[in-house]
Amino acid sequence: MAQQANVGELLSMLDSPMLSVRDDVTAVFKENLNSDRGPMLVNTLVDYYLETNSQPVLHILTTLQEPHDKHLLDRINEYVGKATTRLSILSLLGHVVRLQPSWKHKLSQAPLLPSLLKCLKMDTNVVVLTTGVLVLITMLPMIPQSGKQHLLDFFDIFGRLSSWCLKKPGHVAEVYLVHLHASVYALFHRLYGMYPCNFVSFLRSHYSMKENLETFEEVVKPMMEHVRIHPELVTGSKDHELDPRRWKRLETHDVVIECAKISLDPTEASYEDGYSVSHHISARFPHRSAEVTSSPYVDTQNSYGSATSTPYSTSRLTLLNTPGQLPQTLSSPSTRLITEPPQVWCQLATLWSPSMVCGMTTPPTSPGNVPPDLSHPYSKVFGTTGGKGTPLGTPATSPPPAPLCHSDDYVHISLPQATATPPRKEERMDSARPCLHRQHHLLNDRGLEEPPGSKGSVTLSDLPGFLGDLASEEDSIEKDKEEAAISRELSEITTAEVEPVVPRGGFDSPFYRDSLSGSQRKTHSAASSAQGTSMNPEPLHSSLDKLGPDTPKQAFTPIDLPCGGADESPAGGRECQTSVETSILTPSPCKIPPQRRGGFGSGQPPPYDHLFEVALPKTAHHFVIRKTEELLKKAKGNTEEDGVPSTSPVEVLDRLIEQGADAHSKELNKLPLPSKSVDWTHFGGSPPSDEIRTLRDQLLLLHNQLLYERFKRQQHALRNRRLLRKVIKAAALEEHNAAMKDQLKLQEKDIQMWKVSLQKEQARYSQLQEQRDTMVTKLHSQIRQLQHDREEFYNQSQELQTKLEDCRNMIAELRLELKKANNKVCHTELLLSQVSQKLSNSESVQQQMEFLNRQLLVLGEVNELYLEQLQNKHSDTTKEVEMMKAAYRKELEKNRSQVIQQTQRLDTSQKRILELESHLAKKDHLLLEQKKYLEDVKLQARGQLQAAESRYEAQKRITQVFELEILDLYGRLEKDGLPKKLEEEKAEAAEAAEERLDCCNDGCSDSIVGHNEEASGHNGETKTPRPSSTRGSSGSRGGGGSSSSSELSTPEKPPNQRAGPFSSRWETTMGESSASIPTTVGSLPSSKSFLGMKARELFRNKSESQCDEDGVVISSLSESIKPELGKDLGVEAKTSLNLDGPHPSPPNPDSVGQLHIMDYNETHHEHS
Amino acid sequence: MTEDSQRNFRSVYYEKVGFRGVEEKKSLEILLKDDRLDIEKLCTFSQRFPLPSMYRALVWKVLLGILPPHHESHAKVMTYRREQYSDVLHALNVIRFVSDATPQVEVYLRMYQLESGKLPRSSSYPLEPEDEAFLAIAKAMEEMVEDTVDCYWIIRCFVNQLNTKYQDSLPQLPKAFEQYLNLEDSRLLTHLKMCSAVSRLPYEIWFKRCFAGCLPESSLQRVWDKVVSGSCKILVFVAVEILLTFKIKVMALNSAEKITKFLENVTQAFYAITF
Repeated sequence: MAQQANVGELLSMLDSPMLSVRDDVTAVFKENLNSDRGPMLVNTLVDYYLETNSQPVLHILTTLQEPHDKHLLDRINEYVGKATTRLSILSLLGHVVRLQPSWKHKLSQAPLLPSLLKCLKMDTNVVVLTTGVLVLITMLPMIPQSGKQHLLDFFDIFGRLSSWCLKKPGHVAEVYLVHLHASVYALFHRLYGMYPCNFVSFLRSHYSMKENLETFEEVVKPMMEHVRIHPELVTGSKDHELDPRRWKRLETHDVVIECAKISLDPTEASYEDGYSVSHHISARFPHRSAEVTSSPYVDTQNSYGSATSTPYSTSRLTLLNTPGQLPQTLSSPSTRLITEPPQVWCQLATLWSPSMVCGMTTPPTSPGNVPPDLSHPYSKVFGTTGGKGTPLGTPATSPPPAPLCHSDDYVHISLPQATATPPRKEERMDSARPCLHRQHHLLNDRGLEEPPGSKGSVTLSDLPGFLGDLASEEDSIEKDKEEAAISRELSEITTAEVEPVVPRGGFDSPFYRDSLSGSQRKTHSAASSAQGTSMNPEPLHSSLDKLGPDTPKQAFTPIDLPCGGADESPAGGRECQTSVETSILTPSPCKIPPQRRGGFGSGQPPPYDHLFEVALPKTAHHFVIRKTEELLKKAKGNTEEDGVPSTSPVEVLDRLIEQGADAHSKELNKLPLPSKSVDWTHFGGSPPSDEIRTLRDQLLLLHNQLLYERFKRQQHALRNRRLLRKVIKAAALEEHNAAMKDQLKLQEKDIQMWKVSLQKEQARYSQLQEQRDTMVTKLHSQIRQLQHDREEFYNQSQELQTKLEDCRNMIAELRLELKKANNKVCHTELLLSQVSQKLSNSESVQQQMEFLNRQLLVLGEVNELYLEQLQNKHSDTTKEVEMMKAAYRKELEKNRSQVIQQTQRLDTSQKRILELESHLAKKDHLLLEQKKYLEDVKLQARGQLQAAESRYEAQKRITQVFELEILDLYGRLEKDGLPKKLEEEKAEAAEAAEERLDCCNDGCSDSIVGHNEEASGHNGETKTPRPSSTRGSSGSRGGGGSSSSSELSTPEKPPNQRAGPFSSRWETTMGESSASIPTTVGSLPSSKSFLGMKARELFRNKSESQCDEDGVVISSLSESIKPELGKDLGVEAKTSLNLDGPHPSPPNPDSVGQLHIMDYNETHHEHS
Repeated sequence: MTEDSQRNFRSVYYEKVGFRGVEEKKSLEILLKDDRLDIEKLCTFSQRFPLPSMYRALVWKVLLGILPPHHESHAKVMTYRREQYSDVLHALNVIRFVSDATPQVEVYLRMYQLESGKLPRSSSYPLEPEDEAFLAIAKAMEEMVEDTVDCYWIIRCFVNQLNTKYQDSLPQLPKAFEQYLNLEDSRLLTHLKMCSAVSRLPYEIWFKRCFAGCLPESSLQRVWDKVVSGSCKILVFVAVEILLTFKIKVMALNSAEKITKFLENVTQAFYAITF
């Protein structure tokens, strides 16, 4: 709490007059703000500001840093909701926003924006609305991307406010409406500049509705005349406009300039990028605007009557003076001129280029670079000066001493000229004339007006100079016009389109006044105020207000509406003088149309424009020349000031302000005058509070507007700074370029120098080359000579060498010859020695020969002797020899035949051998096959035999079992048969027998009795019923046989010891075969076949070896059988051992031994 | 060449691809066509391939020596065998050891006992383990072979073979079994050892009865094919395989009794698997 109190104190201290204290306190606040993050301090500051409007607090609030922005915005938002604080808080917001705080981007997210929009949509207070709209317009470029969400709100606001401008709901002061209109106009520009596509589509949809059509015609259409076609309309799209990327690159001032670029309004427009046309057009507008009061303004003024502006009192007065005529006059010009303005403006638009060129040639910089801020003052000044002049001038300068001839000339000339300069002239004329008038009036009537006039003259230094000339000229011109118009009226309707002269007729004089009065809408006010000096304007106004705020309204409304209306009839004739007065009012509508045909003053085309064109060619010329000179002298600005008037709401507002200022100044001037006070008293003492309020509001609005404009200026300044930097950069670059160029030139020079030296060097080089060439040729020739010499020498040497060779050859030949000769000598020597030897040999041979010849002779004699002897004996031996030969031959023959025979025999025998061998092989093969077969058969037989044996075995088993059974039964029978024995005993015996049998099966010894029984049973059963006899062993089985034979052998050993075995064997075999089990008998054939086999085998043996004896045959036979028998015997022996094992043991061990011996003997014998 | 031409020309391809024994029947027929049957070849064949059921009895008879290798003597030998069978049967009937009511298997047993001379004095005498094995084998064989004579002879010779030919090798089998099991799955063996079930495994059933009553008929036939053809090691492998097949279950069992019991009832498990 203490702190709060402290804050209160501090706040109060803030407003202390002491500068140092104030600074200290501000510093304290700022420190606090830096340290404290809470919203409290900000809130208190805001509250305090709302209470006191303290400037230091405002300063603190506007420089708030980041963390407090939210609190501030929240607070503002809070207050915006309350109707009472809305206005002041909005102005605070405006202050804050205009300073572009670092947190401006947060504005789009803050809840403040929607509430502001809501307020704009809902509020009905014009002051609040205007302030809000201005704040919004200021904010828009800072938060362009927020358009997405609130775009429709913006548009709605625009639609609402634009309709407001027209419909004026409630008791809205006209003056407010002017402000509102200006702000709406700015909003229009901003919206159109930022979101053209969306905005245009909004306009299209919004104003396609019937109820909005009027608004469009009246309000929006004129606005549209101040803008070019936005390029985005062609290239962009709705979405593209809202794309945040598009806005990211643009800063706030960029956006502002972007919007300004679109504008054709000279006060708004920016000419940065060389929009020359617009620039010129706009350059022209200012003049208009300077001269012409815009219709809305006028309307408001009129309708509102004297409510605000004193200047209108004059018009009021005039109106009052001629009330009856008013409607007509008002309507007539408008109707007449409806058709014309378009054409004129078309002309202007199309034909503007040349003049534009002119403008370019003469003053290229003037209008474009002049910021609106600059132009305004000028125009204002102008307006004020002119304004003061006109009202008085209208009546005063009416005298028309005009040459008629001009008009016609002009009619002809004007059109052609129109292409080149007329518009310019016009403007100049327009602008000039008012000036003139003003000056005129000022000079003539008012000494009071001097200061403003001088102002104007100061700004347009030359103007005053030629104003005088023009003034006089104007009069004549007026005359001209008059007459020309009359003639027109009578004759010309042919070129109706192009020549808006028709109205001229009626407007001659009025036009002039029109132009005068209308050219400066401020002039009215100014003039009125000026007049008011004599007439006490304000009371008049008030009275008028009271008297006829309604009537004039009604009277004027026709002006607005009749634009398309039916007031065509009222023709020109009548209008001449009567309309003079009314025309004072009309001009404004008249002037407006050129800029906005469909707009406020759509009905009123600019007749005087045209008239000027037509009527004042020369003056225009003059003026242009003057102007150009003037402009050449003055770098800029003037043209603009002199430019064509425009009726943009801004201008209207400007003028309003100017007039207000004028009035104020005048009032200040008039203060000493008694009349005023008298008036005041006369009308009721004190001025009405209502008036004061409205004035205050207006002041506030003006202040807002001013702040807005200042903001715009700041943006422009920002931009200018940037551009300047760019320019400087460009200049630096140019400098750099120039320097580079210089360097280039220097280098080129160097290069040329080098080239020259190069040439020199080349020449020297070529010289040297030549010298060298000559030297080379000389040397070459020398070399050639030397070579030649050398070759000669070479040839000589070669010749000499050949000679040398020849000589050498000769020497060699000679040597060879020498050698040959030597050889020959040697050879001959050798030959000689040989010959000598041969000689000696031949001598010895000769000696031998001689000896031999002697021998030969001797031998020959002996031979002859022997020959003789031989011949004597030869006859006897021949016979014998022949005989012997014959014998020998015969013998030979014989032997030969024998040999042949022998060979033949051999052959046959060989063949035979071969045959036999093959036979043998075949036989062998056959034998092999036979063997195989035999083997096969053997196997087969063995298989069968095995089966049979197994069967036999089985049989044996069966029989055994049977025997067992029988024995068992017997045992039982015996037991049964023994009556004396107890049955129990029998049973025991049977059991015992059974047990025994079991034991027997296991190989245990049987009881003798059991054995005997068994044996007897066996014999009896198998073969014979009789029991075993002495020799019945033949019937018994093998075992028995053997035993019997042994028995036999024992007694009959001596008689047939040798044959015994055989016989016994045979016997046994036979016996066996005859008496053994039928199966064995059955198997005999097989054994027989087996025997046959054996026989074959024997035969084979025989064929192989024929040296066997019969006995051996038998033995071998027996032997071959023996295994079989042996087997049988073995089996039987086994069985006998099994069955009869105990039996042999009792008879005699000797017999067994005998048997063994016998066996041994047999085998021994066989082997032996 | 002739053999090849008679055989299916695709057989080589089949063998390459891995279908073994597609042409077994044909080749067996070719083997059986030889007048003197080649016992060796038949042995290798039956060891290598499962015998077609239609020739099984014949091949077994030949391999077991019931029939000689010569076709000519088959009829004759068979009559002998038949007579022998009827004789023995008759004898048994005569001594009232068997009657019509006696189950066939027991008849076979008595006949065998009679032929081997081991017939007890009374049929009421308790059976010996050998006889139990015989009965099991006979029971299995009875299902395989229709003809009673053939059946008897095959049983008889089969058992004879076991008792004679494999007399020496059969006692070695349990050791071989352990060895192979160790190779295949030592964990299982250790488990068995842990449970001390190794010695208590049903070797009796496996090796004395040759899995009779332990395996389903079709499997048993194949096993016996090998046994008949002279390989008793197959029994070891079959046993190892059985253990491996039921490894999880065996591993789950902890006591020797349970394992033994389970393995004795393996047939049921097999049926559970097959159905």
